[in-house]
Amino acid sequence: MTPAEKITKDLILAMSGQGKTLDVERNEFIIQAGTIERHIYWIESGAVRAFYLTELEEHTIRLGYKGSLITSLSSFLKDIPSELYLQAIRKTRLKALSKTEFLKFIGDDKERLRQYNAMLEDLLVQQLEREIDLLTYSPVERLQRVLKRSPHLFQEVPAKYIASYLRMSPETLSRIQKS
Amino acid sequence: MNRNTLIEELKKVTSDLISQAAEFKKLSIKELNYRASADSWSILECLEHLNRYGDFYLVEIEKRMLAAPVDKEADQFRPGRLGNYFTDMIRPKEGVVKKMKSPKNMNPLHSELGPTVIDRFLKQQQRMLQLLDQAGTVNLTKTKTAISISNLIKLRLGDTFRFVIYHNQRHLLQAGKVRKNLREMEGEKV
Repeated sequence: MTPAEKITKDLILAMSGQGKTLDVERNEFIIQAGTIERHIYWIESGAVRAFYLTELEEHTIRLGYKGSLITSLSSFLKDIPSELYLQAIRKTRLKALSKTEFLKFIGDDKERLRQYNAMLEDLLVQQLEREIDLLTYSPVERLQRVLKRSPHLFQEVPAKYIASYLRMSPETLSRIQKS
Repeated sequence: MNRNTLIEELKKVTSDLISQAAEFKKLSIKELNYRASADSWSILECLEHLNRYGDFYLVEIEKRMLAAPVDKEADQFRPGRLGNYFTDMIRPKEGVVKKMKSPKNMNPLHSELGPTVIDRFLKQQQRMLQLLDQAGTVNLTKTKTAISISNLIKLRLGDTFRFVIYHNQRHLLQAGKVRKNLREMEGEKV
């Protein structure tokens, strides 16, 4: 197990134990743009999407389902108003850890901090992966890249959100899925 | 009519609409979805209706303005006959509107709507203010835009701005009435 995997596992363990349980209905918001995110969530069951709203449409930028950690990251880290909305895609149960609890957890000892650094490195790498996802010209390739990372995506998340995540119309997604 | 006078007037109307819509953010989702009767619109439906028009007109106006040459000389705007007709039809007169029927694709009745409808409306109006700022160096008479209901007709840019913004005003007035109605109802309960 890598240090990043170790801390993720321990964090989830801590969250499933001491985290506050939060039940949200389908389409209900966990956080809305403009408010400050004070929690990080572990998805016990259900599915969540993070999206950015423009004057013309919603852009789904993250998807999480059973087992994922999710939060409005820049708001959570920097204590600034969230630019993102977090919304339950279906009935969802979350375990929430407050920022204070989170900081206490990672600052617990030197080993934890080292693992946390490794986790942040992984996050940075994932972020670059995602940038390349979006720069990839061919819609077919964009879909393949994501399916390689998350093979079960279509079982967990409605296609319209996956299409938005992949920056394509639902029609295009449906067409390339068939081919 | 003077170009800058028109632009300032439309900016003022739009700013007022922004404040009115921002007020709706204080209401609960239940209140925002309240309708007086089965076929009348909720506050969110009023705004969603405008967002759908915005989806067309904000993009269309920006496209035409980007393609138009800079024209600082044309400081007068001459409304067209059709432009006057549409504006006159849509614009509330002393707070009174004549009922009209919406095209089906623009009618949001009974669609599932959430609080993002208000945020999207506010973002659209910020965009509208930016476009109005840029309109000061464009010929509002000679620049033409398409309209959403017919491919055969083009409107003068100044008329398109007037039509869209007074149409916004019309439905914010309607949303305001729903809110007033709601307040009276809630008042009765107490």
